[in-house]
Amino acid sequence: MIVKVRNLVKRYGNLVALDHLSLSVKEGEIFGLLGPNGSGKTTAINCILSLLKYDKGEIEIFNQPMSPDAYNIKRDIGIVMQNVAVYNELTVYGNIDYFCGLYITDKRKRRELVKEAIDFAGLGEYTHFYPKKLSSGLLRRLNIACGIAHKPKLIILDEPTVAVDPQSRNKILEGIMKLNEQGATVIYTSHYMEEVEQICSMITILDKGRAIVTGTKEQLKDMITMGEKITVETFGLSDTQLSAIKGLPNVISVDYKDNLLVIKSSKGRNNLENILDVVKKEDIRFGKIYSELPTLNDVFLEITGKELRD
Amino acid sequence: MQVFKLCMQIIRKNIPVMLIYVILTAVVTALMVSDIDKEYQKEISFTPAKRSIAFISEDNSLLIDGFREALGQIVNFVELDETQLQDALYFREVTYIVRVPAGFTEEFMKGADVKIDKSTVPNSVSNTYIDLFINQYFNTARLYIKNIDGISQELLVQYLKEDLSKTSNAEVKSTTGKKVTYPTYSNNYFNFFAYTLISVIILGMSMLMIVFNDRNLKMRNSCAPVIPGSINLQFILANLFFTFASWAILVVMSFIFNYKNSLNAYTVYFIISSFIYSFCCASISFLIGNLIKSQNAVYAVCNTIGLGSSFISGVFVPQELLSGSILKIASFTPAYWYVKANNAIAKLTQFDYRHLQPIFSDLMIVAGFGLAFFAVALAIGKRKNYIEN
Repeated sequence: MIVKVRNLVKRYGNLVALDHLSLSVKEGEIFGLLGPNGSGKTTAINCILSLLKYDKGEIEIFNQPMSPDAYNIKRDIGIVMQNVAVYNELTVYGNIDYFCGLYITDKRKRRELVKEAIDFAGLGEYTHFYPKKLSSGLLRRLNIACGIAHKPKLIILDEPTVAVDPQSRNKILEGIMKLNEQGATVIYTSHYMEEVEQICSMITILDKGRAIVTGTKEQLKDMITMGEKITVETFGLSDTQLSAIKGLPNVISVDYKDNLLVIKSSKGRNNLENILDVVKKEDIRFGKIYSELPTLNDVFLEITGKELRD
Repeated sequence: MQVFKLCMQIIRKNIPVMLIYVILTAVVTALMVSDIDKEYQKEISFTPAKRSIAFISEDNSLLIDGFREALGQIVNFVELDETQLQDALYFREVTYIVRVPAGFTEEFMKGADVKIDKSTVPNSVSNTYIDLFINQYFNTARLYIKNIDGISQELLVQYLKEDLSKTSNAEVKSTTGKKVTYPTYSNNYFNFFAYTLISVIILGMSMLMIVFNDRNLKMRNSCAPVIPGSINLQFILANLFFTFASWAILVVMSFIFNYKNSLNAYTVYFIISSFIYSFCCASISFLIGNLIKSQNAVYAVCNTIGLGSSFISGVFVPQELLSGSILKIASFTPAYWYVKANNAIAKLTQFDYRHLQPIFSDLMIVAGFGLAFFAVALAIGKRKNYIEN
């Protein structure tokens, strides 16, 4: 086990930021911590890294208890903070070299590692730029390069794609998967379910400091009753027509708002076919009709009763 | 030494701003040096001023011609007739009238005690100088007449000319027998030093503190396998190095601008005084760096503290010209005690313990300020860390 967290409790006065949180991260995983803002993701990461004192619980990294002076553990951890943490007074190269230098003292080796990190982050053209001259996407990439240059075994990325354009976001996500392929275990926190769904092999959904579910994305989706979401673009539906749809087998809920009919159904082979039959029979005019599998947002919604983005 | 190197790079990035203060000091010093040089030349050099006199001779001889020629070296002759003499004296056209009576040379060559007549403006100091010259000329002539029998007027005039053309160097000595030096330059420079040094150190150190107190960077550094003590030690070393370097550069600058006036015992004491003050500045900057969060605020605080304390403490305006109430307020700033110590150093005539003791007392107060600021800064830093955790 690369990271093991047991019954972690962290309180800020009366506010319980982490409520008996337990996690296990296996070697080679991309472990996603998914949760809305304020759910305790960053607090959990800070506690894991011993940046914050916690009230209760145990944290082990590489099967050793983690503490602020566990330098042998820290040596193999790379951290990419939620906020960009680079020195504006240093160039792109200078920043990567500085942070890498905190882990690697051998100058020659460091030079190679810095070069690799620059290539990895696609910052080759910007090595002599100061951070203030970089776009937010490039800045995020620099932030990542600073965290991974020393080739750590465990990389912790705390919402690394916040305020990043889609192109840079894709590059960052591709990079994380590449790092994982190269052997690094990754802990990735985000409130973007698409990202977590895209790259994480194991996911824990956090809410109010508690781990509400843990599993692969498939396992998580299996946990909920909804198996399919069918959306029909239509207008002027009568109550009779709506009742006909509600009466179909497997239908859990029907929501008609702003000319969009959203039908949530439990798993079943003919859900879409049944709806199309009703549409035809009731002579419902429609623009588009499409079916979607449940997302992690649906998982979160079903378990907590609220949207991930709330 | 990653952290130390980083500190140096941060300081290097801020050098252009700090240079403004150094250049300002350089300009002020250059102006000060040229001004002091002029004053200094005035004080130490002697340029004889030629007074206007009337020369009336009723005796024509080689001796009197020689005398007139020699006297012409130190005075300007104004040609006047008998009727104009008193008016000229009254209206100060001339300050001295020399009258050689008839038969003067003949009697003088015989060794008789004859005198040259004179009329002068009362209480004129310059006339004493002319009197001295006339006495010197004829006393020397008498010596030759007495010792060389039958000396001719021609030979006598020649000997007198040779003797009077000789000059000797004079050295001004103090009452203690030591060579008099003028610490005005060093005093002014090291007083102004207070403004430059505090501005430069506040800028440099506060910038460092702001960067290192950035929460995100602090957290990132904390994740690294580096002992916090090592990071702190490197940070302190960098600050001390920066303080020392700033101090040293400004001290070297004082020598560059006026090394002739800097090579004296006073400068040694000024250097000691500025060294103590520089560490007080470092403590103030350490405190400011702990309190301030933005770089723009650093500039504002730097100007307020630098200019404010300098104005009331006698850095720009001599303490003698400041009112008692201002000086009372200023006494709560280290700059006041530093300038006071510097002024006391400049007035030193002897460098023994009795004379130096008040200076050391002032410098101890400067050091005390430094320690107090440092203690407050540490307390604030600890409290901030506690709140952050």
